[in-house]
Amino acid sequence: MKVLVSYFGVTLAVILLGIGIFGLTNSKNVIRILLSSEVILNASILFVFSLSSVLGRTYLPIVFSIFAVGMALTEVVVAFAAIILYFRQKGSLEVD
Amino acid sequence: MSLTSDFQLGIFAFFSVVAMASAIFIVRARNVFYSAIALAFLGVSVAILIADISPEAYSIYSAFHLLLYVGATVVFLSISLVMFKGIDVKEGRIPWSGPLSVIATAVIFIVILVTVGNLPSISPKTVDLQSLAVEILQGYWFPAIILVIGLLTTVIEAISLARRE
Repeated sequence: MKVLVSYFGVTLAVILLGIGIFGLTNSKNVIRILLSSEVILNASILFVFSLSSVLGRTYLPIVFSIFAVGMALTEVVVAFAAIILYFRQKGSLEVD
Repeated sequence: MSLTSDFQLGIFAFFSVVAMASAIFIVRARNVFYSAIALAFLGVSVAILIADISPEAYSIYSAFHLLLYVGATVVFLSISLVMFKGIDVKEGRIPWSGPLSVIATAVIFIVILVTVGNLPSISPKTVDLQSLAVEILQGYWFPAIILVIGLLTTVIEAISLARRE
């Protein structure tokens, strides 16, 4: 049962990854690109936990994901500062 | 299959649908503010799915995901997006993005199936907060310092943004 849920988790993570890749490549808006990368981050975290559940890893996925989410928070703030600067210079959020 | 297993599977199925619907809304909504709100729903769904995979081992991280990711990152994104005017997104006209994402997804899925399809299954141990803190402070102290420095940078940058420097 637990293995079934874990493999469903892996499948869902791959589907979310596909949706994230679609959003990343289909949009020219920088905020949409940032949000699509967040979808990919969520997919990767779900994948790590699903696979670790099958492999019996306990602390590794938790520690890895805590650092990943902490760094994602930093990355979002830095990216948003860059986006604000881009918007002030270009007057638009569209990338060329 | 017991009642608990059915319940666990039902919760997993429901929040899988919510997660997929949120992800599709994020990449298709015309206004990115609503995309950021949908990201909160995706974060909540992923946290519940992680807790559902192994409640005794991963529920601590699930709470962390709700607090730090949904509570900080997504709220920061949503509030920051209010600063922009006219953030409607033009429809994408990139014809190869759909096939590319489908092909990439299929390839990754096949690689995962081949790689981990026949691995033996081992259940993870129960985790409490004290043992997790000891594990981080003893085994991963250097990444923890890097994370603290990164978060301090975030605070400085947020102050800088607020002062419009």
